[in-house]
Amino acid sequence: MRSILKRNNVRVSGRGRQPMIFAHGFGCDQNMWRFITPAFAADYRIILFDHVGAGGSDLAAYDRIKYGALQGYAEDVLEICRELDAMNAVFVGHSVSAMIGVLAAIREPDRFDKLVLVGPSPCYINDGDYVGGFNREDIEGLLQFLDDNYLGWSSAMAPTIMGNADRPELGAELTNSFCRTDPEIAKHFARVTFLSDNRPDLPKLKTRALILQCSADVIAPEAVGRYLHRELASSDLVLMKATGHCPNLSAPEETIAAMRAFLRAPSMP
Amino acid sequence: MDDAGRRVTIDQKLLEESAEDLYENAPCGYLSTLPDGTIVKVNQTFLTWTGYRREDLLAARRFHDLLTVAGKIFYETHLAPLLRMQGFVNEIAFDLVCDDRRRAPLPVLVNTVQKKDAAGQPLLNRIMVFNASDRRRYERALLIARQKAEQVAEELQRLNETLEERVWLETEERLKAEEALRQAQKMEAIGQLTGGVAHDFNNHLAVITGYLEMLERRFGQSDESARRAARKALDGAERAAKLTHRLLAFSRRQPLAPTVLNVNKLVAGMSELLRRTLGETVALETVLAGGLWTCFADANQLENAILNLAINARHAMPSGGRLTIETANTHLDEGYCRQHAGVTPGQYVMVAVSDTGTGIAKDLLDKVFEPFFTTKGAGEGTGLGLSMVYGFVKQSGGHIKICSEVEQGTTVKIYLPRLLGASDDASETAETTATALYSAAETILVVEDDEDVRAYMVEALQELGYRVLAAGDGAAALRLLDEGREVDLLLTDVGMPGGVNGRQLAEAARQRHPGLKVLFTTGYAGNAIVHHGRLDRGVALITKPFTYTALAAKIRQALA
Repeated sequence: MRSILKRNNVRVSGRGRQPMIFAHGFGCDQNMWRFITPAFAADYRIILFDHVGAGGSDLAAYDRIKYGALQGYAEDVLEICRELDAMNAVFVGHSVSAMIGVLAAIREPDRFDKLVLVGPSPCYINDGDYVGGFNREDIEGLLQFLDDNYLGWSSAMAPTIMGNADRPELGAELTNSFCRTDPEIAKHFARVTFLSDNRPDLPKLKTRALILQCSADVIAPEAVGRYLHRELASSDLVLMKATGHCPNLSAPEETIAAMRAFLRAPSMP
Repeated sequence: MDDAGRRVTIDQKLLEESAEDLYENAPCGYLSTLPDGTIVKVNQTFLTWTGYRREDLLAARRFHDLLTVAGKIFYETHLAPLLRMQGFVNEIAFDLVCDDRRRAPLPVLVNTVQKKDAAGQPLLNRIMVFNASDRRRYERALLIARQKAEQVAEELQRLNETLEERVWLETEERLKAEEALRQAQKMEAIGQLTGGVAHDFNNHLAVITGYLEMLERRFGQSDESARRAARKALDGAERAAKLTHRLLAFSRRQPLAPTVLNVNKLVAGMSELLRRTLGETVALETVLAGGLWTCFADANQLENAILNLAINARHAMPSGGRLTIETANTHLDEGYCRQHAGVTPGQYVMVAVSDTGTGIAKDLLDKVFEPFFTTKGAGEGTGLGLSMVYGFVKQSGGHIKICSEVEQGTTVKIYLPRLLGASDDASETAETTATALYSAAETILVVEDDEDVRAYMVEALQELGYRVLAAGDGAAALRLLDEGREVDLLLTDVGMPGGVNGRQLAEAARQRHPGLKVLFTTGYAGNAIVHHGRLDRGVALITKPFTYTALAAKIRQALA
């Protein structure tokens, strides 16, 4: 029972009753919500967690078959909800976790009141008229790129290159104490994320959703945000001034304001 | 005071210039960007590396605009969030897209620090860019080395797991090879011994036979009992000569007359003889390979060998059975030759003779080629048949292998080296034609180191009407030639002591008398005129012991 909370490094805080679940995207962990959560702590029960393979999660729980599709991650979200008896929750998902939330809400609609989708994309690869932003070779290039970097980050290489063979802990300290990821899992997660295509699932979503679309987002271009808005039965699209892919970090005030406006509006009948 | 003050001012200015110079021309690229990545300052080193002009970048491009697609994704998903949370990011390996499109992307390492205001809001990113072309090469080499190391480790583990089995196999193989070598050495030693004995014995037999024939010629007409006694003694001597001949065959010292040989033709030609030898109860089957290679071997000796094997087979099948003679093209490889001492890897023509007889026990198989070894009862065989076959095959550069299962049968395989190149079917050589045995008063120079043999030969040749000169060694013979004696034929022993053997003597004699006819005699051929088991072309040879008639005929042939 407790193992699910441990597996996903679940942290619960806040003084409200309605659950607000935050799910991080590829490359990060729950730390990425640090500028957002304080704004909602008074009114919500804040639930933070790390996907298996990221942050403080249990790496031993990583199962290449289960996590070979986004459904495996959606299953984890539902398990956490059941474990914490969370109903009628607000789900806030960044990047790939926006789609993970959509999949979870399709499977158990009662658990979710509203979805906040930050920089979402149902499909990253261009397909006919559909503009996802990438082609297949780009994704292969990304996997090669991860190889190059994890070679430098891996515990075996860092001490040698940085000249700290006698104090290997410096290697870990210097690079990255936030967003820790296991190199092999990160590569697999990248493949699963960037090769995913959840466009056929979109019409099945009944939960209300907010689409936060940044300007000049390389990962999820504006065309993708507009596509989602068209396909989802009940959604708001907000085109943000913030640039890049992480408005929760680069423009937390604008993000919070957009979320509040959406959450204040009454749910659709 | 004034001087000192001015100097300080100048130094300050110089320092500022130096700092500017250091910034612009540092061994790394420097950039300053707004929090959204827009480039607001860049140094000359970065511009030189990437080929961009300053005005291309300032306020116009974001840093991640200069990255490959993969780099852009990584920047957005990893670097930017980390920078915002941690305030710095070190050692990120990017590929920079350069301005000059012909240039490949530049591998770099990037360190970034974020400057914030008092409220913690980001103001500026400082980016330091290191050229990592070399490092990337090392890293790739390391990656490959690591993969190789892992492969080797796996290989090693596999090897360890099978170590015991391989040690056992290796030991087994070595023991077999050692045993084969021991066996070969034993056969060699026995061969030396029997060869030596047979050679000396032949000299004695030559004397005995010669004088017995002389007695027969002189007294045989008048005294019938003397004639009978001489004939019986001669028959005994002849049997003894056959025995020594077999011993020589085993010790690989019989003179061979190899020709280009089609073994299929030879076997086919023997079928009538074989049927008679095998009798009614043994069926004969021949399986002759199509496209069989030719070999270079003595046809008569190969026939003898096959006949010998057939006789052995008949003895092994007292209540009948089947004899199979099979031919095939075969390749003996390195592995096989390691297990069989004295065998050279290569292509061979194989003749296999198989029976369905009683077989030979395993512990006896090693001994079957040894002379006088026999499984037959006393008086049933000499124990020299297989020894002769063995000696003939070895002398012909081949290999022989026997396999047997008790109550199942025996197979003997003869391997003769494939003849490459020449394919003239010269098997039909002219047989000795009947010639007059008596002389036309030619002069013959006899060279023989054995006094008794020499004396007999001189007497016999004189009886045949020749003029005879005799010498005990090569030097004496050459002296006679140098004295200007007219000689029509040099009749010389091949193996002689004293530093000049028969072959060398013949050469020296022909230098003095070009066209001089030469006839060699031999107890065994040794190496003097037999090379790789064959007689040199054009060499005339008579083997000891020889009969009076045979000697007379050979001499006429040589003089013709």
